Amino acid sequence: MNKITQAFQRLQSAGLNRPLAAYRLVQAAILTSLFWKWEFFLQANSIYATIPVEDPFFPDWLRSVTTIRFAFWVSALATAISLITSTNLLRKICNWLGFVGISLMCVHQGSYNDMTFVTIWWCCLWSVWLAHRVETDQQELLIRRAAFLSRLIISLILLGGAAGKWTPEYWSGEVLFDIYFVDRDFWVFNYLRDNYEPKELQEIAKWYSRQIVVVETISGIGLWVLPARWAALVGTIILSGVVILSNWYLGSVIACLIGLASVGFFVPRRPRNSVTPLGSATETPAAN
Amino acid sequence: MVDSNDTSLSNNKQQRDWGFYCIIAFIGLIAAWLLLMPLIPGISKHSLQRFHLRTPSFSVWAAQFPVPSMYNFANQYKVEQYPPGFVMMIIDENWRYANHFPARVITFFAGRSEFLFSQQDRWFTLKSSYRGQVLESKFHLEAQAEGGYKLIRIDELEESL
Repeated sequence: MNKITQAFQRLQSAGLNRPLAAYRLVQAAILTSLFWKWEFFLQANSIYATIPVEDPFFPDWLRSVTTIRFAFWVSALATAISLITSTNLLRKICNWLGFVGISLMCVHQGSYNDMTFVTIWWCCLWSVWLAHRVETDQQELLIRRAAFLSRLIISLILLGGAAGKWTPEYWSGEVLFDIYFVDRDFWVFNYLRDNYEPKELQEIAKWYSRQIVVVETISGIGLWVLPARWAALVGTIILSGVVILSNWYLGSVIACLIGLASVGFFVPRRPRNSVTPLGSATETPAAN
Repeated sequence: MVDSNDTSLSNNKQQRDWGFYCIIAFIGLIAAWLLLMPLIPGISKHSLQRFHLRTPSFSVWAAQFPVPSMYNFANQYKVEQYPPGFVMMIIDENWRYANHFPARVITFFAGRSEFLFSQQDRWFTLKSSYRGQVLESKFHLEAQAEGGYKLIRIDELEESL
């Protein structure tokens, strides 16, 4: 039995179930994302009821405000229960309910465009998978896989952002200049507008936009190949930077991803002088 | 680098985890779609149509929701009180950029409260471009007597890609 497994056993005997702890952190992060959108749900509740838009592209039930109400409350309650329950069957049922609720939000006329629900959906998919595995007796392998999936998902989401920006309008900064620099009320842009001339702002917008394209491209392609803890650290910094430097509303999109990125911190450190043979973690089950 | 312990296959039955490998395959598929988007015009055309709610069928459109598309494409929109061409503007300066899914200005709560609160007809023009491809769509939002609006695609047959 190698040293990592021994260290892992010591932690488990001290009561820390790493996969379950990581799972609960992600559920809390999903709830944070959902309730970050509380204002949206309040507004949607009244506006979608008073200003319906009849569009045959969407089935009637995916235009109904009742569906959004149902999807939100089912997702929120199911995620809250899955966060606190210690009954595995209930945890699995709640994860499936949350997954279905968020899937509805992703294709509903009133919420399809909001990336919050797409990022939550990926976290829900990860949660459904982990909820079905969390009782395994190979917890070290499980937390390593959970962390691997988490950084793969975050890479994909960043890659999705990057691929759509590989176009001249983003490289020139034109798009983000209009969206953020012209009139967005956020501390970065307020500060820049107060201190720079419009011509200078356009130049700043160009480099701001290029920086986003480059960071998203590099992390989208490369984040998943980093070791778990490094990926967690880099992912958390990049994702936090998105909220701090561009838009407070993006907190709902990013909060659940920060929770997912943090899964890497639960992967046990390797002792510096130990050499682990390829595949040993899969060959040596860690006892509970 | 990727830790082989995270992903290695094993002969041990207890360690087989098909869900894990299915999710990896699904992610790989979407990543391939994204990486090919700048190279294959058909993929970017499909994605632009998705943004304008112009995918030929709802189910094909809905199947694409897991594809992340935060701040994709250069999306512009214009909202007018009169039908296109009814009033000739000398300088057309009503265009604004939207981050993604420009049809959100019609469907999302913020757009509805800003542009559709008056209960009068409105005309929306959406324009998205990506590496030289441009998709333009026009929508008439017809106010209904009983409240709300009916969305009419006024360029249904016009192929602008």
